[in-house]
Amino acid sequence: MTTKTGEDSPQASASQLDQPSVKPPPPPESPAALQTRFRVITAFWAVIIFLGFPIWWKTTSIYRASLPIEEMVDWADGKACRPVFPLEIHLATPSMQSLEAQNLLRTTQHTLDDLNEFAAHHLRLKLTDGSTAAHNGEESAEGLKYLAEDTADTALTVRLLPQEGLAAPRSELHAATTQLDIFYPPNQVPVPSSSNSPLSAFIAAELQRLYSEEKATIAYILSGNTAGLDSTSPQLAEEIDRRLRRSMKYAETYHLSFSLFTPGSEPSSWDIEAAVNEYVSPLLQAFSPISNFTVDTQVQLYANFAPTAPKPEYDETEAAWTLKKEGLSAFVNAAEWPLNPSIGSGPTINFILYVPDPSQSPLIVKENRASSWIVPQWGGVFLLNPPLSHTDNQGGPSNPAHLSQDSLRPAFMTFSHQLLTLLGTPSTPASLPLRLQTSIRIRAASLLLSASSTMGSLARLTESLPSIPIPATVATSVATTLSHLSSSCAHLREGRFGAALASARVAETEAERSFFEKSMVGQVYFPDEHKVAVYLPLLGPIGVPLVVGLLKELKRIAARRKAKGAAS
Amino acid sequence: MTVLSLFSFPFVALILSLWSSSAFASSDYHEHLLLHPLPQSSLLASFNFRSNTSQQSFDQQHFRYLPRALGQILQHAHTKELHLRFTTGRWDAESWGPRPWNGSKEGGTGVELWAWIDAPGNEEAFAKWITLTQSLSGLFCASLNFVDSTRTTRPVVSFEPAGDHSAADQLHLLHGTLPGEVVCTENLTPFLKLLPCKGKAGISSLFDGHKLFDAAWQSMSVDIQPVCSADGECVVQIEQTVDMVLDIDRSKRSRSNPIPRPVPNEQLVCDTSKTYNSDDTCYPLEKTNDKAWSLTEIFGRSLSGVCPLTDFDGSSDQSVCLRVPHERGVFISEEAEEIKKEDGFTRCFKLAPSVPFDLSIPQQPVNTEVPLDEPVLHAERTIVGHGQERGGMRIIFGNPSNTSAVDFIYFESLPWFLRPYIHTLHATITGHDGVLREVPASEIVKETYYRPAIDRERGTQLELALSVPAASTVTLTYDFEKAILRYTEYPPDANRGFNVAPAVIRIVDTAHDAPIYIRSTSLLLQLPTPDFSMPYNVIILTSTVIALAFGTIFNILVRRIVTLDEAAALGAQTLKGRILGKFVAIRDRLRGKDTKVE
Repeated sequence: MTTKTGEDSPQASASQLDQPSVKPPPPPESPAALQTRFRVITAFWAVIIFLGFPIWWKTTSIYRASLPIEEMVDWADGKACRPVFPLEIHLATPSMQSLEAQNLLRTTQHTLDDLNEFAAHHLRLKLTDGSTAAHNGEESAEGLKYLAEDTADTALTVRLLPQEGLAAPRSELHAATTQLDIFYPPNQVPVPSSSNSPLSAFIAAELQRLYSEEKATIAYILSGNTAGLDSTSPQLAEEIDRRLRRSMKYAETYHLSFSLFTPGSEPSSWDIEAAVNEYVSPLLQAFSPISNFTVDTQVQLYANFAPTAPKPEYDETEAAWTLKKEGLSAFVNAAEWPLNPSIGSGPTINFILYVPDPSQSPLIVKENRASSWIVPQWGGVFLLNPPLSHTDNQGGPSNPAHLSQDSLRPAFMTFSHQLLTLLGTPSTPASLPLRLQTSIRIRAASLLLSASSTMGSLARLTESLPSIPIPATVATSVATTLSHLSSSCAHLREGRFGAALASARVAETEAERSFFEKSMVGQVYFPDEHKVAVYLPLLGPIGVPLVVGLLKELKRIAARRKAKGAAS
Repeated sequence: MTVLSLFSFPFVALILSLWSSSAFASSDYHEHLLLHPLPQSSLLASFNFRSNTSQQSFDQQHFRYLPRALGQILQHAHTKELHLRFTTGRWDAESWGPRPWNGSKEGGTGVELWAWIDAPGNEEAFAKWITLTQSLSGLFCASLNFVDSTRTTRPVVSFEPAGDHSAADQLHLLHGTLPGEVVCTENLTPFLKLLPCKGKAGISSLFDGHKLFDAAWQSMSVDIQPVCSADGECVVQIEQTVDMVLDIDRSKRSRSNPIPRPVPNEQLVCDTSKTYNSDDTCYPLEKTNDKAWSLTEIFGRSLSGVCPLTDFDGSSDQSVCLRVPHERGVFISEEAEEIKKEDGFTRCFKLAPSVPFDLSIPQQPVNTEVPLDEPVLHAERTIVGHGQERGGMRIIFGNPSNTSAVDFIYFESLPWFLRPYIHTLHATITGHDGVLREVPASEIVKETYYRPAIDRERGTQLELALSVPAASTVTLTYDFEKAILRYTEYPPDANRGFNVAPAVIRIVDTAHDAPIYIRSTSLLLQLPTPDFSMPYNVIILTSTVIALAFGTIFNILVRRIVTLDEAAALGAQTLKGRILGKFVAIRDRLRGKDTKVE
């Protein structure tokens, strides 16, 4: 104001410049006015702090259910549970005195414990009389009943049978049951006083041998895919590593898809129904306690190789067309061949039966003359070279129009084998029920670990991203996972592996569900710059007077305090 | 009555025998191509592929001819019968006559899907329908996943199942359309993969995306339905068709040089009787010659043999047929064999396996033409009205027949943001005499099935049973209101307008065994479109006004009010006042100097 009038006339401004010293300053404000101003400012700030701020906080905050972070991290670090695998082995001694049997049991157990170097996996011998043992063996062979029972699963029944005319004990494993027969010369029964005997040493060594691969595999899984046991041979370690890398992730349901591919128009039909019933169904039946399976089949004609795939070359010495080993990965023409996964939950395992064109028959793999290979975690391929017929008068030899069940036999035998490998079944021992039991334990161990590590990842994720919401469903899922993990761990400790697998399965499903919860990732992105740009016209003009008013008031109060202090 | 039944019996028997022979042919796979030159140098190519799978192997998932991907989708979604259509372009009924397959194998512009789903209740059926659309969307690379509840209707009388269903199934018909979907090559590739011979052999080897989607009109269809014989044996039948109308001149242009050139002067046929006819002025004569064309010229490739899955006996080996008068000269590849049919216009070709087949027609004067039937009904549908709020729909039905009335079902599904007022439904009739008469709608409309829309949940579904008298034109009109959408509901190209699905007309004709379908063109609806920067402007303007009001009130409340003199005194005491005072003093001194110099 003053400057403006000053601009109008220099004299006036000069006179005004002198004036302030002349004019008296206004009287100090009345305490009532000061108090009113104080109240006004307090009221405004009270509304902002007690109404505005909570509303803003409430409406912009994200719901984060509380998670048991520590417990989750404990599971991931392996502190919450140390999985152990006590295997119960029944010793049936139908033709031995009770005392002798007790003694044999004790010494064998002793030898076993001495031999064992991996504490988490140990064998517990138990004495049964012969009749029940045989019964148990049959039962487990039939249906692998593993559902939660109070007693531990019987892993193996050892039957000791005396046989005349033997120099040393001899063992025989039943391929279709969980029974191991050991024939021994009757004179080798240990006397009660001795602490060691050839027979007990033999039994212990035999059991150790049966479970060595399983032990190595579990050790490998538990140690985090790095080092297994010290005693594991490098070949075995490599074998285990290869198998675990090839095998599919565990799922409740697998879809098996058998496809016949051929580059020409023939063969266009196959006896697939009979072949599946004959060669695949029994195996799936045996696997039914572990997983469910669906089977579908298709015939695809005019299935060419991808243009980028290496072409088969004719090998004079072999008199056959050959594919190079390194080119096998491009064999399946994923872009053109209709190999889309089946609908429904669970992974699809593809088995491809490829019948080469008559002009490129027979077709084999160059390096090892093999006609089949496994595509890790995907499926298997089999090259079928059917006998060519020369009946056609024109155009040279041709493939048969129809593939009979017999001609499919080698292919489906290979597919069964590939299926076992893809499902992670170990290659030893020879008995299929034993291998399936082993596979239950391996699956339980790996599921337990994978669910635990998912929990750990979820805990880390929620801690590192404070802006993602955590819905209540995630908290529920986490609670379910943790409870099933601990029950699975308890089942393992008591030797109920089937029940442990069932719990671990639930834990894994729930863990995956909580980790992949959609509402956690789908957050609306409103960058802060955007909000500021929109609301600055509002917040700026309102905020500046409020803050300046507050500062002035604070200054006044401080000055008054000082004055008061000086006065007193 | 007896006369009528005696008369109709042979016809029905003929239809039945034809049907059974086609449905239960000895081979499980059958393919057929019909080439039919149409007026205005167009060519209709109608491809048909059909195969059967026994119900048993379908249930056990042993797929041979039926594609596995499609079969699994059907099983997963409990779909018993499926019809899927991809259509582009417009069928010119006035020059091309009735539609191929009586319109039963075509859809409205874009994608159309309807299916009978087995489910205990409506909600379960809808859930399965969503599964079905999502899966098909992935399989056919189409936006079928956008068929949501607002685009789904449940027609009552417009469609009837074509397959034989068991009485135990609780079937629900659901119908969805995507009028804005652009059908293109990415839809053809999965379509071809479903065929047993995959476009490598047989008539499917003619398909070329460039030619197919360059057609004036094209329609691809997939139909799957159970078919049962009299003895209760059931098969699952899949039928795929591709119909297209190609412009012969356009198709014959080479791909490398597709720009049309004017006809050279010496090749022009001029009407010399015109007075202005001279060297540089020409009135072209009506064409007197049929165009010359060949398969390789039109499709860009030759037909490579036959698909070996078709059997070689009976009629199914004549997989390619041509509909031209018998006196027309046709050159074919050497190995093929020509069989002329008795009707005087159709000839079929027996192809040699695995030998390329070509067919060429030389230029020849037109003497006889293949007769084209008159369509049973003409239909036209347009949006009328003006302004941002009110609009109207006008549908014109023309009955060309001089003797009989046409009864049909008119079905339209409207998006929810188009709100029709059914009470404004009016009908006018123009008779033989050309006089326009206003008639009450009830005189034309026999029955109405109407389900009103719910905003953002479902669209309007309107089915009318209509009857148009002989040789007259009926115009139906109704008004509608255009809704204003929410800010986020507008698509990125909001000013283009919103697609309204074509109407479906089902003609229930006693003379034909199967109903005739006609689809109108799709419509473009202009909705009131806001300026999309508006919300920000509003926020900023409002904020400024609020800030102004707040600042004023707050300042009045907290400022101390003094007189002007007092203010000056106070101001001089503060730091700001002192600095200002010095500044003014310096300026005054400078000004004083200036005046002294002057």
